[in-house]
Amino acid sequence: MSVFTLSQKEKEAALLPQLAELTAHHRARCAPYDRILAASGFSSAGSLAELPWLPVRLFKTLELKSIPDDEVFKVLTSSGTTGDVSRIYLDKAAAAQQQRRLAATVQTVLGGKRLPMLLVDTKAMLKDRRSFSARGAGVLGMSTFGRDHVWALDMDGRVDLAAIRGFLDKHGGEPFLIFGFTFLVWLHLYEVARDHGLDLSNGILIHSGGWKKLVDQAVSPEEFRSRLAGVGLTRVHNYYGMVEQIGTIFLEGPDGGSLYCPDFADVVVRDPQTWAELPPGEPGLLEVVSTLPTSYPGHVLLTEDLGVVHGIDDGAWPGKRFSVLGRLPRAEARGCSDTYREAA
Amino acid sequence: MTVQFRFGAPGDLTAPSDDRLTVGDPRVVDFLARLARRLLTPALARRHPELGSLGYFLRPAELNRAVERMRRADALVFPRGNVFHLPPANVDTIFVYSWALSALAGNHNVVRISTRAAGAAETIFEALNEVDADPVIARTQRMVTYGRDDAITSALSRWCDLRVIWGGDAAVDAIRAHPLRPSARDLTFPDRTSWAVLSVPGWRAADPATRRAAVTGFANDAYWFDQAACSSPRTVFLVGAGDPADVRDEFLQLLLQVVDQRGWTVDAAMAVEKRVNAYGLAATGAADALQFPDNRITALTLTGSDQVPRRWIGAGAFPFAQVGSLVDLVPAMTRQDQTVSHFGFTPAELNEFATALGGRGVDRIVPFGSALTFGAVWDGYDLPAEFTRLTTLQI
Repeated sequence: MSVFTLSQKEKEAALLPQLAELTAHHRARCAPYDRILAASGFSSAGSLAELPWLPVRLFKTLELKSIPDDEVFKVLTSSGTTGDVSRIYLDKAAAAQQQRRLAATVQTVLGGKRLPMLLVDTKAMLKDRRSFSARGAGVLGMSTFGRDHVWALDMDGRVDLAAIRGFLDKHGGEPFLIFGFTFLVWLHLYEVARDHGLDLSNGILIHSGGWKKLVDQAVSPEEFRSRLAGVGLTRVHNYYGMVEQIGTIFLEGPDGGSLYCPDFADVVVRDPQTWAELPPGEPGLLEVVSTLPTSYPGHVLLTEDLGVVHGIDDGAWPGKRFSVLGRLPRAEARGCSDTYREAA
Repeated sequence: MTVQFRFGAPGDLTAPSDDRLTVGDPRVVDFLARLARRLLTPALARRHPELGSLGYFLRPAELNRAVERMRRADALVFPRGNVFHLPPANVDTIFVYSWALSALAGNHNVVRISTRAAGAAETIFEALNEVDADPVIARTQRMVTYGRDDAITSALSRWCDLRVIWGGDAAVDAIRAHPLRPSARDLTFPDRTSWAVLSVPGWRAADPATRRAAVTGFANDAYWFDQAACSSPRTVFLVGAGDPADVRDEFLQLLLQVVDQRGWTVDAAMAVEKRVNAYGLAATGAADALQFPDNRITALTLTGSDQVPRRWIGAGAFPFAQVGSLVDLVPAMTRQDQTVSHFGFTPAELNEFATALGGRGVDRIVPFGSALTFGAVWDGYDLPAEFTRLTTLQI
């Protein structure tokens, strides 16, 4: 059932030929990608770390796809921090594959059956076209792994205590799934459960989203876990993923504290000065590697997130264990064209 | 509505004033000369090399030259009146140049300093406030910081006779939403692009010391303001027949040495930015070779001189293009282009180039190392003339 089975050595042996083939596949079908690799002088890679990476932001500025227009089945978009939007092109096969692999990944912790599901969000969010792309897609994608869905927030975004109570009365005695963005879970589930004595001990929480808002409130990932345990919620899995590598999520193991790579994916931490791979313990820029992107050249992506590998083959699951440390601080450009935008 | 006074006497910025300065007012000249002495102290110049250039610009000899440029035989020359300056946030010294010329012309000035001004700007404010000055200076010359406040911008726009807007197309458009008095006008500094041209035969003919000096000058032009000053070179044109690969290699090698010596660094976000832009240019076919010899230098080979990027692509990102001669570049130049810094050309070649441009593009043609050197003629404007007004007298 698990997709967290391969030791690092086994994984690299399995992934390298597949990723090398994907690189050739995309070069043959995506001319802009081929031009990038040709201009950089890339020929072949002897290890995962030698595979040519693309900065993830390129998907905001370029149309990168390896399928003809008439095979585009779905275009995924993500709202970016700069206002630009990534566009990810999937054909039918890629869309099916990403859904299958996502299912296999979450079933590692949920089991094969669909569980009753509490969504820590508001249904109104699906109607907001601006926030729909990122948050809505996440909620919709995950909601297929549950049943008897209940929204924890009403249409105005306020906690719907009656709905939560109704859900727990009906399903609280058996395993159930809770999904939501980390900050919303903290604010609208944890605090409500604490104040109203709700019993969440049969829940399995899957959550994602930036930690920045929580760090601003001085809540560390460790404290998040321990406080949730206080309301009975001990099966808690954070995950890291992005629309540019849809279907691949890096999931927090049962022991908590680090993220693990599924068998079809890996991470590399790079030194942003030398671009060399960094050993465990040394933080750098996070590169995400996955065999899922077959319809666009997103199989090796340099993110703008900082991360650190804590250990290899030494955790609850095999392979690399890592954490995401936050966004790379944006450089403030100097220059004559940078005058008055804050006070126009 | 809070206005923070960085320099000058606090008070109502738009109140009528009885103070009158003259063109080349001795009290202003004296103040600027004292400021120059302070900026030129070795400790300051070491910390902020750009302050050295500023101090040089403000020496009495230079000031007198600027005042001379304001005088006319055919008219009486007076201050323009009230001048409202909106300088760029992140080029720490540029506000001093335009303000100083305007003060020298005898204007009452209000300079809006960005809330994000830092680094050398702070040093300049310290120096400004430490200089002994006639009280009239503080009453007529004010530098203020205020946040998002359209009311203040509006009031100052109504107050001024000349509004000086730096900061690119978007800033000019935004500020122009605030009307001026009917008799007033704008002096605008919109988005600009600047280039470097290097003569391949000129390089080959130069001795090693000259080459090294050229690259040092180029490095200052490019790296002082993270290649983002409007006059910093963006693309390097290799000019001349034949394969310039050896010249380019040596140029990059020397550049790396200078960057090393100066201890310049590039932060991670900027390094990623450069990759994004370099890959983007390769993906669209504008560049067909990318070199990353070091995090601080990204070299790109453009597929044609018509492929030059006109937007900023990061600190230490150098697209290279080859052209047969300077005049071959002329069709590629546009009104947006400001400074062309040169190395290795004969005066005749440069003259022919400037003449062929015919004013349709490029305002300044200067040697390597002078791209950032501010002049009284800037962006095609004769600033001393802009900051003054003329009265004709027929008897």
